[in-house]
Amino acid sequence: MSALIEAAQPKCEEDAVASQAPIRLLVVDDHPAMRRGLVELLDDQPDFRVSGVACTAGEAMAAAGAQRFDVAVVDYHLTDRNGLWLSRRLNRLTQPPSVVIYSAEADGMLAAAAVAAKAHGLVRKTDDESRLCDAVRVVAGGGLVLPILPWQVSEVVRRRLDSEEQAIYGMLLAGFPVAEIGPMLGVSSAEVESYLDAMLRKLEPVGPWDCHP
Amino acid sequence: MSAEDPTRGGRRARRYVPLFHRVAAVNVFLLLAAVVVTIAVLDPDRISSFVVNEEIVVLVAAVLVMGLVNLYVLRRFIRPLQALAALARRVDLGGRSERMPAAAPTSEAGELAITFNQMLDRLEAERREATGRVLAGQEAERLRIAQELHDQVGQELTAVLLVLSRLQDRAPDELRARVLEIRDEVRSTLENVRRISLELRPEALDDLGLASALAVLGQRFGEHSGLEVVQSISPELPQLSPEVELVVYRVAQEALTNVARHSDGDRAELSLTGDDGRLVLVVSDEGRGLSPDQLPGTGMRGMRERAALIGATLEVANRGPNLGGCEVRLVVPLAEPAGGSAR
Repeated sequence: MSALIEAAQPKCEEDAVASQAPIRLLVVDDHPAMRRGLVELLDDQPDFRVSGVACTAGEAMAAAGAQRFDVAVVDYHLTDRNGLWLSRRLNRLTQPPSVVIYSAEADGMLAAAAVAAKAHGLVRKTDDESRLCDAVRVVAGGGLVLPILPWQVSEVVRRRLDSEEQAIYGMLLAGFPVAEIGPMLGVSSAEVESYLDAMLRKLEPVGPWDCHP
Repeated sequence: MSAEDPTRGGRRARRYVPLFHRVAAVNVFLLLAAVVVTIAVLDPDRISSFVVNEEIVVLVAAVLVMGLVNLYVLRRFIRPLQALAALARRVDLGGRSERMPAAAPTSEAGELAITFNQMLDRLEAERREATGRVLAGQEAERLRIAQELHDQVGQELTAVLLVLSRLQDRAPDELRARVLEIRDEVRSTLENVRRISLELRPEALDDLGLASALAVLGQRFGEHSGLEVVQSISPELPQLSPEVELVVYRVAQEALTNVARHSDGDRAELSLTGDDGRLVLVVSDEGRGLSPDQLPGTGMRGMRERAALIGATLEVANRGPNLGGCEVRLVVPLAEPAGGSAR
């Protein structure tokens, strides 16, 4: 159902495995069984090493501040903040990890909001587990693994964003880093960041329970 | 009036002489007595020698005229009371009910009609409020169950899936196929849990708005029930309040469920249009339609109650002899600008 866009991928999978340094992972999930399952699954991969585990967004920020991670695997639903917020915050670190949001659904507004939150990947929990591992490898190599938006959602995105925001959104979808988007549109990076905040507010799932759209 | 609609429970047999007959009888009696007494007092001799024909004719005519005038006046007074009784018997608090027309404080009957109308207003308001509370409670309960399903059952099943896919690589060959099988079963259970929790709580409505949420509903419905849902949703819908959106969404959901369960058809049409200050939702199918003696089920009642809550009307009818199938039509009046409560 969720076909993948994989853009701007400098490294391929074999290279990642070959380069002896494993991908350092931060696992963030508030559900103990899920956390355990994820850690076991990911640690089993020869090219991964789970070097941090957090239950909440706060803990995750603390862990990411203290230690460098390549990829953060983040549940959308966290007790304190959600995965989108965490993605935004992690992205502002000086050496930001790539973020894969692992969520029950990936075809609603969350898919749209994930772009504005600069998540690099979004994987459905009902998909095959190998999808998650593949996504981690792709984003660790600088790629994006985001689902194609269903038309109903693109419709809403178009309605809610103004023209500048739509332009930024398109560039994000195409995999441009913020540092390049600013000069292209003639605005500073700080302005792009504040655009992103506004976009995220407009696109974030507002469902009565914010666990998934 | 005498032949009452039996479905309304019938009218109890009348065990009294109607007020109109009683007052009329008493009045006629008093009139006659007054005439006799007047004659007796003013001209006692005439009583014994009552022979003049013309006088009798005049007297009888006068008494008749007076009696008729009396009856006419009485009738005018009694008729509004009878109309009131008839209205009280047929009034239906569920939908938008009738009121006594032309109720003016010009007589006791008029006052009664006004009071009656006020009482109906109050009853309807109270009933709407009660229904609203029940439905709000129902929504809250659905939300709670959906949340529980998602946060607990969904997460735990996902965790089991992760463990199973690890086991699959390590299991001895003779068990591997079985592990795979179990993993697929757990995965389909997880899909079902997700679907049920989505049906319980239309959060797409909060995220996407009514038009897109209905499109998603039709699509999802088609995917899991095998029903082909043809949609035509007007892109230019007026601004709607969250209450209206929820009612329209729930009615569409219930109507589609009915089509899938009862119609025997394999196609449903869903249309939503907004014009002339009203919003119209139509869900129709090409199945076998309603049989005439079919009683409305709880789903239907639920749809009606929801409709009444926002002052909308709901009609469920067969589409006509040539077409076959049945049609659910929800008409929401949008007289006042409904954009008041921003979402």
